[in-house]
Amino acid sequence: MNGLQTANAPSSKIVVPHFVVGGIALLIVAILLAISTPELLTAYFDNKLIAITHIAILGWASMMVFGALYQLIPVVYETSLYSEKLASLTFWLFLISIGFLSYSFWIASYSNLLFYASLLMFFSLLLFIINLHLTYRKTKKPNIQSKFINTGIYWLAATELLGTLVAFNFKYNFLSDSHLHYLKIHAHLGLVGWFLLLIIGAASILIPMFMISHNLNAKKLDYSYYFINISLLLAMTNWFLFQSKYVSILAWIGIAIGVVFFLSFVYETYSTRLRRKLDVGLKYTVISISFLIIPILLALFLLISGNSTAFILRVTTIYGISMIFGVISMLIFGQTYKTLPFIIWLDRYQNYVGKYKTPLPRQLYSEKLADVQFYSYLFAISFIIIGVILKQAVILQIGTSVLIFVALLNLANILKMVWHKTKIEDLD
Amino acid sequence: MNSTNKETIKSKEEIVEIEIDIIENILSHVMDPEIEIDIVNLGLIYEVDYDGKNTVAIEMTLSTPACPLSDAIVASVKESIKRKYPDFKVDVKLVFEPRWHAGMITEAGKVMLGM
Repeated sequence: MNGLQTANAPSSKIVVPHFVVGGIALLIVAILLAISTPELLTAYFDNKLIAITHIAILGWASMMVFGALYQLIPVVYETSLYSEKLASLTFWLFLISIGFLSYSFWIASYSNLLFYASLLMFFSLLLFIINLHLTYRKTKKPNIQSKFINTGIYWLAATELLGTLVAFNFKYNFLSDSHLHYLKIHAHLGLVGWFLLLIIGAASILIPMFMISHNLNAKKLDYSYYFINISLLLAMTNWFLFQSKYVSILAWIGIAIGVVFFLSFVYETYSTRLRRKLDVGLKYTVISISFLIIPILLALFLLISGNSTAFILRVTTIYGISMIFGVISMLIFGQTYKTLPFIIWLDRYQNYVGKYKTPLPRQLYSEKLADVQFYSYLFAISFIIIGVILKQAVILQIGTSVLIFVALLNLANILKMVWHKTKIEDLD
Repeated sequence: MNSTNKETIKSKEEIVEIEIDIIENILSHVMDPEIEIDIVNLGLIYEVDYDGKNTVAIEMTLSTPACPLSDAIVASVKESIKRKYPDFKVDVKLVFEPRWHAGMITEAGKVMLGM
């Protein structure tokens, strides 16, 4: 029956550990960034920065996304997850792979440990991709949101395949171009193909639901889907075969048009919303989506500026930071406050609703901490970006220190929800 | 004799109406846990029927068909009525035609939403 997706929801035991590990990974990322200030100001192809990037992308962002997706899939696909056992196995393998891979990068063991670590990572991500693909095949009525998410999963497969090939190349040296060239492709397949498609797919169902907006023009999402995917295919072909600057710019235009269609959909959602007051989860979400414009513009700047000067290298770092921390992390913070309280609430109180007085989902976390976290995060991101642009270590260190504070607040609220004990009172 | 019967039928209809009012009042205390507004003021209740014996039939909708809290809201509706009428059978039918829209929110609901 339509609308009874909670019957398809997976066990909270599958979903919740992803949020806890994700919260811990963010804290590790923040601490490592704070002790890696010199590397942030000098280069982006540095073993420590690559290790931090992989903990951020895999341990923090993807771990949170996997957890949220397991919960969201029944809502978007209108079917249950193909296998919860596979999801549980994926979680443990993925966790071990992240530690192994990051350690390999951190100690720069490119020709030895990295080979085995990347193989394990490839296998764990393959399990995730198979599980979600088989779930998608069970969908009776695929919609544009499920197409975005499913295509994003194929791009994740492409990202991982290329990442593994680059890792193998350190040992066997069979690729024709430099590692940096393939790493750029690997990064863009991941950021645009996996994360951007996922953001659009998930946000276009969640934002109208939380803001209570109806009768939206879904055609904009169709256009966005085709523009982004065709342009990314064009970009990938160009990177491998031609390496033409003009084709790259053409692909950029296509992706930018796709993003504009999505932004227009979100603006329509925002301006027609019935729920006028935005809670902290929606504030994060709105800023995250607006922030998308920054990496898009920075990508154009990097495309048209040819020389790899020190300033251009710092802009490249900001490009990565704006996407990982400005867009992806901001959205994850927001959606954590919009999903985890409900997952825990349903787990603890579903059998008591109507019979006893129960707390509201938002009362499961500290709204005060969430607010302080929100403003501290805006402060941290601004200082980190300004610190990198101006090449000012002190400003950067203030930013990364505040990021540690943010990660602690985030983890505190996650644990407050996870450790929540059922509290019921008589209705009379 | 005929006129007494008529009076009895009329008073039964009145009882049904009173019971429906009571049930609607009970439903006005059932909250949507995410929007934090009761389901009556949100305009989610389409119809409440009482057969005059022990069955209540409710036709309602959700603000979105994909609502992840649908089970909890339906359970809350059933349990709230059963607290007052433990022997009643409560049938809740979720419908998505007509599709819920803003015009269904009561004036009080609009104030609560900040519209």
